[in-house]
Amino acid sequence: MGYADNMSESVSYERLVFKNASVYHYMKIYLILDSDDRKFNAAHFKQIVISALRDLYGEIGAAFPFDVLKFEEDTLTAVLRVYNSGLVKLWSALTLLGSYHSEPCAVRVVQVSPFLLALSGNSRELELD
Amino acid sequence: MFTNLEKCPRNLLICEKSSFLNEKSRHATHVAKHFFNYKVSVLIPECGIIPSGLRSVVSSFSKYYLLKNLPVYKLLEEEFLEKVVKKGCLYALSYKTRIDQDNTFALLPTGQVILSVDKDTYEELGLEGKASQYNHRQPMRYVVTIDLTDKSMAAGGKRYKRVMWALQEKVQLTSDFLLARYSTGGDGEDLLQSFFSQYSSKELRPSISSQTFKNLLCPSLDPTDLRGDTRSCDPQQFLEWLGAVTMDISCNNEAASFVSAYCCPEPQSSVSQALLCTTTGLLLPEDIHSLLEELRRYFDEPRFTSWLSVTVHGFADSPVSWGGTEHGFHKGGENFYTFVLFKNQDYWLHMATGANDGCPP
Amino acid sequence: MSNMAAFIDLNISYTADKKRLQNIIETAAHLGYSTVAINHVVDFQQKKQEVGKPKCVSELFDQFPIVQGKSRPIKVLNRLTLMVSEASHFRTTNEFKLYDIVAVFPKTEKLFHAACMSFDVDIICIAVTEKQPFYFKRPPVNGAIDRGVFFEISYVAAIKDSTMRRYTISNALSLMETCKGKNVIVSSGAEKPLELRGPYDIANLGLLFGLSEAAVSTKAAVSTKSLYSCPVCMELQIKHAL
Repeated sequence: MGYADNMSESVSYERLVFKNASVYHYMKIYLILDSDDRKFNAAHFKQIVISALRDLYGEIGAAFPFDVLKFEEDTLTAVLRVYNSGLVKLWSALTLLGSYHSEPCAVRVVQVSPFLLALSGNSRELELD
Repeated sequence: MFTNLEKCPRNLLICEKSSFLNEKSRHATHVAKHFFNYKVSVLIPECGIIPSGLRSVVSSFSKYYLLKNLPVYKLLEEEFLEKVVKKGCLYALSYKTRIDQDNTFALLPTGQVILSVDKDTYEELGLEGKASQYNHRQPMRYVVTIDLTDKSMAAGGKRYKRVMWALQEKVQLTSDFLLARYSTGGDGEDLLQSFFSQYSSKELRPSISSQTFKNLLCPSLDPTDLRGDTRSCDPQQFLEWLGAVTMDISCNNEAASFVSAYCCPEPQSSVSQALLCTTTGLLLPEDIHSLLEELRRYFDEPRFTSWLSVTVHGFADSPVSWGGTEHGFHKGGENFYTFVLFKNQDYWLHMATGANDGCPP
Repeated sequence: MSNMAAFIDLNISYTADKKRLQNIIETAAHLGYSTVAINHVVDFQQKKQEVGKPKCVSELFDQFPIVQGKSRPIKVLNRLTLMVSEASHFRTTNEFKLYDIVAVFPKTEKLFHAACMSFDVDIICIAVTEKQPFYFKRPPVNGAIDRGVFFEISYVAAIKDSTMRRYTISNALSLMETCKGKNVIVSSGAEKPLELRGPYDIANLGLLFGLSEAAVSTKAAVSTKSLYSCPVCMELQIKHAL
């Protein structure tokens, strides 16, 4: 995907251009439930997302590789990594996730980016008032 | 039917390798042209406490102001133009305006005012502009650029009067603004305050935080191998790792682990500690340049690490990214750059943008 | 007169439970919606149904919730939706004027045709809780598009139940084959805060319904209300004398 144009003016100068070179997208999300007292860990959380994928896309969906890079148990906040080709499917499965053990729930998507690093610097979080 | 479901918005990553000692190095230009910066994070491997030089540079970053309900025309008033804008180094960006939904404004240090507005506002304003590059079939957003350095915009002139009339009488565009002026002397800040004393304002300092990570895996980087053929990991992997460390994501997983298979890219080495120092606010390119100069001096003394990095995140809702290049949000509005500084004064510069952005310089 | 480009959700279910309604609107503001419409449904199949006067929205809050990431409060509109199974059910009355938006949910092909071609409405609702009971024919659909009437798919049923999810997607895809993505809006129909989703979630979900994100298409004025709108609630524009 990338190409280099080596400029002759300097021995050490090099420039690479990558278009869509990131194979992943990253999502920062959190889960909300009606009751606040429910606790689960990262593995449990991943299980929930897998069943959401299965509900919408069947076994192929459930088999789709993605990573729960981070999960905070207190806030039910997660950072997910998914192949670009799976982003729309993962996202829509999360959108349509409406209940967990027959208790209503919702997934809120905070940020989506092809760069994980971008998730660490979201200017929309700047609160000055 | 579902081919759409596999597609993703485009993104760009530009990677440069050069040396600070190279006369033609463009690092200073790249920094200077990325006007609106929200966050800077410095990562220094094998470092436990914030070096005093670094601390003093970040704590001397320029202060900035939050002005409430400021009419845009105030930025164009004759006295303000003469006494402040034309002296340069003035940065203003509308605050809490979302570029994917709202009218958004910026005043660049180069003397251009950018109004990124919806179609109705554009039509009411009646000022010359052009359709946003990131419209779909039908233009919904327009960008008006007013060049205050242009002769035709001389105060009192016909065009100047027309612009002022549009912004005062036709549609009084108003917004909260973040405003800062870089000055080496002390005059600039008082000057700003005197102009906006009638508006509710808040003086702010960039906020600084730092943390130390213990025993982490760290990619080994060789300045000659930017592409990541053998002696370094590739730039995407490096940036991913940097993101992982910054967000305290575990980098120690196996391919077979259920929750996450993410691991630190190779070649790698183990470091006993690393320092992350983060500054947030409206951060000026001039200050970031000073930071970069200070970090170059970090290697004046012998260090265990051969590299350190600085990441600068732009405002997601700024109407420009680098220079006057139009910036949009699409799904994330990402625009950031990362310098990797090496012991021998070589550096790498990674510049990244999302779907609604031009190519970085 | 106010002008803005914004994310809007034109279908928040009305409930007499004021607290709940407040909660939904607060959540909508938090998710970034600048405007929502409270939907009052009148179903003529049920007895003693008549179009009443909507509650004045200003009574809902002393201070309207601030839209996430902005410094301005959310706008709340009143919407009327008529469930129509017989032609006699649809009579334009003076009460219509009390609502900012009028929608119709035609139950038969004949009524769908009439709604597309002649009813003075802004929105035609598409079934999401059952299999589409009649065909979407091109002439009425095009007629509606020409008149600036919008088709609405609401997503709440798809969240609540997997069978209805199938109906929702299936009916949306059938509609899309006929209307080519023109004049389609996606709204929530939410009765609870947890049933709402964010604007970008819906833009992404629209892909399942066969809407392309790039197909944020022809900006058309919705009948007399001069409501500017596009599919997927993306870059929706509303121009209202509020």
